Amino acid sequence: MRGSVVIAVARATMRDFWRTPESVFWSYAFPLGMALVLGFAFRGQPRAPVPVAVVPAASAEIDEVVLGALRQDERLQVATMDEVAAERALALGRATVVVRLLAAGPRLELDPTRPDAELAELVVRRCLQEGAGRRDPIAIDVDEVERPGARYIDFLVPGLIGLNLLGMGMFGVGFNLVYMRVRKTLRRLAVTPMGRADFFAGFMLTRLLLALPASVVVVVFGRLVFGVPVHGSWLALVALIVVGAVAFSGIGLLLGSRAKTIEGASGLMNIVQMPMWLIGGVFFSNQRFPGFVQTMVDAVPMSLLTDGLRGVMLEGKGVIDVWVPIVALFALGGVCLAAAVRIFRWN
Amino acid sequence: MYAIEIEDLRKVFPGRRKQAVVAVDGLSLRVARGQVFGLLGPNGAGKTTTVEICEGLQRQTSGVVRVLGDEWTRRAMPRIRNRIGVSLQETRFIETQTVRETVGLFRSFFQQGRTVEASIDAVSLGEKADARVDKLSGGQQQRLAVACALVGDPELLFLDEPTTGLDPQSRRSLWDVVRAFRAGGGTVLLTTHYMDEAELLCDRVGIVDRGKLIAEGAPRELVRSLGGEHLVEVAGHGLSVHGQALTAGLTGVLRARVDGDRLSIHVAAPHLVVPALLARLTERGVELTELATRHTSLEDVFVALTGRHLRDDEGEAA
Repeated sequence: MRGSVVIAVARATMRDFWRTPESVFWSYAFPLGMALVLGFAFRGQPRAPVPVAVVPAASAEIDEVVLGALRQDERLQVATMDEVAAERALALGRATVVVRLLAAGPRLELDPTRPDAELAELVVRRCLQEGAGRRDPIAIDVDEVERPGARYIDFLVPGLIGLNLLGMGMFGVGFNLVYMRVRKTLRRLAVTPMGRADFFAGFMLTRLLLALPASVVVVVFGRLVFGVPVHGSWLALVALIVVGAVAFSGIGLLLGSRAKTIEGASGLMNIVQMPMWLIGGVFFSNQRFPGFVQTMVDAVPMSLLTDGLRGVMLEGKGVIDVWVPIVALFALGGVCLAAAVRIFRWN
Repeated sequence: MYAIEIEDLRKVFPGRRKQAVVAVDGLSLRVARGQVFGLLGPNGAGKTTTVEICEGLQRQTSGVVRVLGDEWTRRAMPRIRNRIGVSLQETRFIETQTVRETVGLFRSFFQQGRTVEASIDAVSLGEKADARVDKLSGGQQQRLAVACALVGDPELLFLDEPTTGLDPQSRRSLWDVVRAFRAGGGTVLLTTHYMDEAELLCDRVGIVDRGKLIAEGAPRELVRSLGGEHLVEVAGHGLSVHGQALTAGLTGVLRARVDGDRLSIHVAAPHLVVPALLARLTERGVELTELATRHTSLEDVFVALTGRHLRDDEGEAA
């Protein structure tokens, strides 16, 4: 292998990346946009008030007192309606509790299997009692907090890093190779003194150099905009990103080493990417499968990466704690690279 | 000393439904150093397959190929690759790179070579040195391909249909590049289906048809081998009735062919044959519709050898 050739290939592919606006967009802008949109869409929101339907009594005086008491609590959304409308609202779920103001006292109607029924009952009971004059024997203070680390965005950022590394491996390496084969650029390179090891090394070097900043940008963005923490070691984080890039570019290289058409390559890549998206723990947790299924899910390369990243960022793990995914992903990349060298075709 | 030696080369492609395709069928050829050698033939004759085997891009089914004295073994491969320059049929380079960057990339592959600037100047692309590949015209891309072939300062240059699809000016400018390379002592193996190109540019040509070499020699020699350097072609109503009798006994006629109402005659001296021929036609009442004389060309050599025209689109001669 000749260093000067590797560097020349790396420089050419690096220029190609920066001069292709699409690749810059999908690698750098897209993950940030995704973090922004999903981070805001799923941010912790105050619970919506529980709808309560009140069927008034004949006496306007009683109504005034009761309605005033219920309206004081902002967790309830109170509407008065007649008997027929109230029944219908309950049936359609537009009201969780129906409060009927009878001469003998208020009567509640609710469906206890509905998730917010219990809360609604407790709040309505308290309001009615306090409205009737009950006073609490002791005062309890509540502090409302939101801790970074347990929110959806905290879960999402490591997933997006994994997704981005996967995309860069598949498209940046795999597709590019097939594209160059289809255009017969590879054939032309084949009749030069450049060896395939030089070529692969240059190609992968570029991807590694691009993957690290693309991931760090997501981490920094998450931290600045949403306060997503990195509790563990930065060294472990960087190591995971690098081996993730190695593993996914290795897979991309292997998938792109023989395919003769873009269509053929797309099919292969979809087969490989599908499980990574679905059970790789990118957008939602992959930790609730039964027994041996969970073992298989955990062995998906994307799971190894996202679990490792979450361990470092959210649980404060160090290099020693995540050595298993680091070694496994590195080995996977190495095996794919070796296989790709064996089966690669210039033609 | 030969730059290329090919002995009994065969290449068989498996093909679909067990119908093997014989692309090259027992071809032998030698290209001396310092020559420009042209492989001529119709599309699908096996020219490109032969050249690509010489370039080490394909492997032969059987036969021996020596390039600059070496066969394509694993050990010899880097040595040969460092000494040859290649321009393939239709290569597209990475479109985001400039001309200078592309040539620079290829320069890095070779242990020795010309400077990037010298290679770009050799193909007159200096003005476009900083233009991106995707902004080049077809002719400029072809010249870039040749610049990349020259940058390793090769002893042997392979050019597969270097001028196909180019405008006349670009073609001439590529011919100049080839002549300059030859003047510097280099050897060239090129393929073409342009007859004029082969006659003007090549020291020797080999005519390939259906995987076989059917003629080989200097262009003039091959033309002369037909027995006359001029061709007289006449057409007229009722000509076919008289057939060969029209030329029988005419002095200076070397070979005649009747094809319907058309007659073509190979002659050494048209100024002697034409008046006598016209007199005979008038005598027999043949109404002349066409008369032309021209130099015989490699095209005529091919037609004489195979009964077909070189270019597919010109159709089959009856």
